[in-house]
Amino acid sequence: MSIETTIRDYILQNYMFTTDASKLSNGDSLLKKGIIDSTGILELIGYLREEFGVTVEDVEMIPENLDSVNNLTAFVTRKRQTQ
Amino acid sequence: MFSSLVDLLRASVERQPHAEAVVSGQERVSYAELWRHVLAVAAFLRRHGFKPGERAALLVENSPEYVIAYYGVLAAGGVVVALNTAAKGRDLLNWLSHCDATWLFAHAQHPEWAAIARHPGPWKLIQIGDAQVPTSSGIRWEEILNGAGATAEAGVATEPGRAAAIIYTSGTTGRPKGVTLSHRNLAANVQSILGYLPIDADARVLNVLPFYYSYGNSVLHTHLAAGGCVVIENSLAYPHRVMERFASEGITGFSGVPSTYALLLSRVRLQDYDLSRLRYLTQAGGGMSPVLMRRLVDALPHVRLFIMYGQTEATARLSYLPSERLGEKLGSAGIAIPGVTIEIRDEHGQPVPAGTVGEIWATGENIMLGYWNDPEATRQVLHDGWLRTGDMASMDDEGYLFIEGRRTDMIKSGAHRIAPKEIEDVISEIDGVAEVAVVGVDDQILGQVIKAVITSRPGTTLDAFAIKAHCLDSLAAYKVPKYIEFVAELPKTASGKVQRFRLTTVPDEKKTR
Repeated sequence: MSIETTIRDYILQNYMFTTDASKLSNGDSLLKKGIIDSTGILELIGYLREEFGVTVEDVEMIPENLDSVNNLTAFVTRKRQTQ
Repeated sequence: MFSSLVDLLRASVERQPHAEAVVSGQERVSYAELWRHVLAVAAFLRRHGFKPGERAALLVENSPEYVIAYYGVLAAGGVVVALNTAAKGRDLLNWLSHCDATWLFAHAQHPEWAAIARHPGPWKLIQIGDAQVPTSSGIRWEEILNGAGATAEAGVATEPGRAAAIIYTSGTTGRPKGVTLSHRNLAANVQSILGYLPIDADARVLNVLPFYYSYGNSVLHTHLAAGGCVVIENSLAYPHRVMERFASEGITGFSGVPSTYALLLSRVRLQDYDLSRLRYLTQAGGGMSPVLMRRLVDALPHVRLFIMYGQTEATARLSYLPSERLGEKLGSAGIAIPGVTIEIRDEHGQPVPAGTVGEIWATGENIMLGYWNDPEATRQVLHDGWLRTGDMASMDDEGYLFIEGRRTDMIKSGAHRIAPKEIEDVISEIDGVAEVAVVGVDDQILGQVIKAVITSRPGTTLDAFAIKAHCLDSLAAYKVPKYIEFVAELPKTASGKVQRFRLTTVPDEKKTR
């Protein structure tokens, strides 16, 4: 499975409790749509570490990296190339 | 003494019309602009037949629009009902109908906007921002702000003893509890708080608390009453960004619940940021662990930390611990705030000696009028001008409170107070559920998270995922159980009452998120 699909499935199942992929667009803001809150972000960071071996530094904890499936996919891809 | 929030705001406007009142993102609203818009909302409502005492609800995130609409409704003599924006349509409609709201100000970007806009409620809807589903009333926020009579101040009148605000503290099922506060309640609590917190016209608070809860509500009103500035930051999800704003906005004060500080300390090194202008922190919303308190004080030795305690039924605040006595009285919720008297009483309502645990009773001008349209529930907690808080505590011989716990089963998770019954009722709707008990279990960041323990009917199989999905359909996301545990039967007393304390262990294998 691609990084994007893996992340999408994780968010759908663990935050939205659905398997209906149409409920989430890749560009949707996870925060503004109320899908993830401040503690949800911490869990998401734990997931990125477990699933992809990606460590999120404090300064990387910004919406540009984490606030949508697209941003998460780009961030994980970039980090895996540099780590 | 001022007797309404509107009078307090007007005084700030007159003292310093050009100072910043509210900052949100790039938007900066001065006191003069804020006042002009407040009067425009009040004038609009009056022109459209809004009568003193009518209820106008807000479904609006923390924003300048929230502040304008809130004060606009008050200035029109109305009762403002700020709804929990995390709630789902079912709760929202229940509250709107319970308070007979005649107007609703709503952000069109709210996830429940479509449900609200399509619902044929008796209220008139005012649309803030662009919407995919237009309102049937067709009233836009911008039209109100730019409307005729926007500058007319005539008729701003508030009667101190009349209802000014309703704050719903529970929803969904049964009877919603709407804490009803008068203009005097709100003004008195604000002025008491200003008597001990270092908030003045130079104050700039970074606010992450929802205004629809009493804590955020008091942060907002105290700063506007003092002529300070409220810098709105709607989430702690990105703590690094939040901390950067302390420096860029010259923040002097910050308020949080224990989980706010747990979250910040877990993700950022406070020492790495320019917090030179920060003067004080406040913490309320449940007891913070001494370890966390110590870490906070060590990280920010130049900052005064005020521990506080209160209840929505007391507008917000009942007691505070003076920062200079923090070390000496560690674990205390402090002394009564100015204008409030606190007593510890036994089950017969008689005061108990110092050091003895009993229930906290409080009296003062901040004690609510009652629960909206619920005289029976009101009678249970209000007695001769005193509020029975339901919180258990002892008081030392200097009047310092030490809270021991609550008599109720309410779950405290982050900034939220959650009635287990609301969640139990929603889970009980699922086919195959025989019994369910919902409890709070310990969590390092949030204090508590929700666990549902369920028994199934014979011959049925239940699925944790489907149960969470059902909860998310009906309940605010923060009310969805983190843990679901299936058991053969619930532990009960001989009389059949569920023994909740036996259910509060964190399950290892059942963790599903």
